[in-house]
Amino acid sequence: MPSADQHRSPGMSVTQHSIDQNDDAVVIIGSGAGGGTLAYELTAQGIPVVVLEAGPYLTQDDYVNDEWEAFNQMAWLDPRTTSGSWRIARDFPNLPAWVVKAVGGTPTHWSGATPRFKEHEFKVRSVYGRVDDANLLDWPIGLQDLAPYYDRAEKAMGSTHLHGRPPLPANNNYKVFANGAERVGYRFYATGPYATNAEEYDGRPASIQDGFNFQGDKNRSKWSPLVREIPRAEATGLLDLRPESHAVQITHDAQGRADAVLYLDKEGNLHRQAAKVVCLAANSIETARLLLLSATPRFPDGLANSSGQVGRNYMRHLTGTVWGHFDKPVRMYRGETMAGIIGDESLHDPDRGFAGGYYMETISLGPAFMAAFVEPGAWGPDFARLLDAYAKSAGMWIVGEDMPQETNRVTLNTTVKDVNGLPVPNVHYDDHPNDVAMREHAYTAGEKVYQAVGAQSTHRTPPYPATHNLGTARMSERAEDGVVDRWGRAHDVRNLFVSDGSTFTSGAAANPTLTIVALAIRQAEYIAAELKAQRI
Amino acid sequence: MVFPAKYPSLNATEMTDEARHALIRVLRVAFPHAGVPDGPYERTADTILTEAQNETWFRVALTQGLLSLNQLADGDFRALADEAALKVLRRVEGTEFFGFVRRTAVLNLYDDAEVWEALGYEGPSFDKGGYLHRGFNDLDWLPDPRIEFPAGETMPEMAPGATGAPRPAAQDHTPDSTNQPGTTSSDMEEVKK
Repeated sequence: MPSADQHRSPGMSVTQHSIDQNDDAVVIIGSGAGGGTLAYELTAQGIPVVVLEAGPYLTQDDYVNDEWEAFNQMAWLDPRTTSGSWRIARDFPNLPAWVVKAVGGTPTHWSGATPRFKEHEFKVRSVYGRVDDANLLDWPIGLQDLAPYYDRAEKAMGSTHLHGRPPLPANNNYKVFANGAERVGYRFYATGPYATNAEEYDGRPASIQDGFNFQGDKNRSKWSPLVREIPRAEATGLLDLRPESHAVQITHDAQGRADAVLYLDKEGNLHRQAAKVVCLAANSIETARLLLLSATPRFPDGLANSSGQVGRNYMRHLTGTVWGHFDKPVRMYRGETMAGIIGDESLHDPDRGFAGGYYMETISLGPAFMAAFVEPGAWGPDFARLLDAYAKSAGMWIVGEDMPQETNRVTLNTTVKDVNGLPVPNVHYDDHPNDVAMREHAYTAGEKVYQAVGAQSTHRTPPYPATHNLGTARMSERAEDGVVDRWGRAHDVRNLFVSDGSTFTSGAAANPTLTIVALAIRQAEYIAAELKAQRI
Repeated sequence: MVFPAKYPSLNATEMTDEARHALIRVLRVAFPHAGVPDGPYERTADTILTEAQNETWFRVALTQGLLSLNQLADGDFRALADEAALKVLRRVEGTEFFGFVRRTAVLNLYDDAEVWEALGYEGPSFDKGGYLHRGFNDLDWLPDPRIEFPAGETMPEMAPGATGAPRPAAQDHTPDSTNQPGTTSSDMEEVKK
């Protein structure tokens, strides 16, 4: 049993359980929706795991109700570069994605919307047909495979409106949004499903409507692995959690099986953890980067990349924001940020001029983020008016399916190094014409919603740095079409799994977290069975 | 190593009160909020001056930029009325100087409690118990909407006839550039009668 001091030494476990670095362990890289869920589901079945988390162990007491301070505390700020025609490359060239670097991962700053994928969204190549320049492919699984795991994920996350969980009440932003929806003839609007407690559930209290979702929830009403899966995994006595442990390479043996993970502690010391199974859940950009950083003579294009698809088909969802400005107060910042959804446009209707669909969801920013994101690069009286309208503004976010394209990809930028001397990831993205057509339709639809309840003006905000990062190690039936199989197991390396949104073959309209969790629960069952049968 | 500016006027302008006041005026004109008092603008100007002190290139850009404002104003930029001052700023909009001022201002001016108050934002709320009992739902100029999906109705997944409709036309059709075999290219499948 290691001493307390060893528990706190850099790059080592912070829980009571510690696994020897020379023992072949089940190693999970990342502790977010995918990795955190996997850690709990495996330890619950008696399988010890090592979790390597690049970020620190922040808890609710660390979180602050302040946008920039919280951003600097939680966000993944390691250098990245961008290219392509997307506006992010101009406005936020070093911040392609807005994700979290901390225990619990990006769900610690998510808002909480949990719609499911629709049946046809697993069969996009068959249903949408050929879309020029889109690398569409059907998933190797369908809704029927995932449905029982959706049930389990919704119960784990406490999604409102489902499985006996009551809905959240209407907040001010929702009142504007829902009344507008009703008046333009939409039917499917509600305050959820939304993974935040409307009443006490699962040992966590009801929401106090404090309005700070993107800054970490000090009240613990919002689900994330930080408040559920990580502590429960720790309670099994089988979790070895190593924060500030940044994986930099997955190595393999002479047979091509993954045999260890190399990682850096916060002081820059390199460690090696031997592995019998490696589960990669570092979010789409870092997952692809790590596979590319793990190239060897046997895997010259990156680990598990015989298909050439690692890093490709990067998806970030359509996204866009519509603000409505009224002559009366809204105070959208009061209350749950995204507890409002309109589903009427989420269907597939090619008569609208594009494939796939989108949701509209309430959103709010404080003045600090509003100034930075509402119209990047703008200034002057028109810009000032957008901020002067703050208290009388309502906001909605558009989240819809973007087309997977082979040229939208994560690569290694060998001319820019991070603090450890490793090449940084470059994220290249161009909008597909289908994305452009859908975004235009969605902006117009959002404006109609606000105009229907008397908006005096509206404003279209371009996509933020991506919170939904998907597709860079996609699932495929055939090894030549993708990186992992129907279980998230690498086609090329049979003891390597990908356990995050990288595995999405297509993006669907729905916010991805619920699906990442459902896939991770399903994958954990499979890994446990394979381990017990000694097939791994 | 920091090199002294070639022209003494650059150094002379650098940290003068005149420069600071010109910068405050720039911020007032570029981000005009009638309800915001002077404090936030002054603090933002000081932040910009501090950052400029730390980076030679910013300092050079800032001093040069403030000088050129006076040149474009045919005198003292600070003496220009709002409309005329705005015109001057539009002429320097693309400069390194203005980009630096704008970026720093956007990040700092609106991260200020006095500005929040002027805009009607209440800042941190957790310590006050959130808004559960402090008006999260106090909007009263619209009726209370329903909060659940309509009972007994199913959200449509596919539009009627979606599968029979022509494929969605990509606006910028570029043939033969896709890796997908499809309707317009031979994919060498088995031919059946």
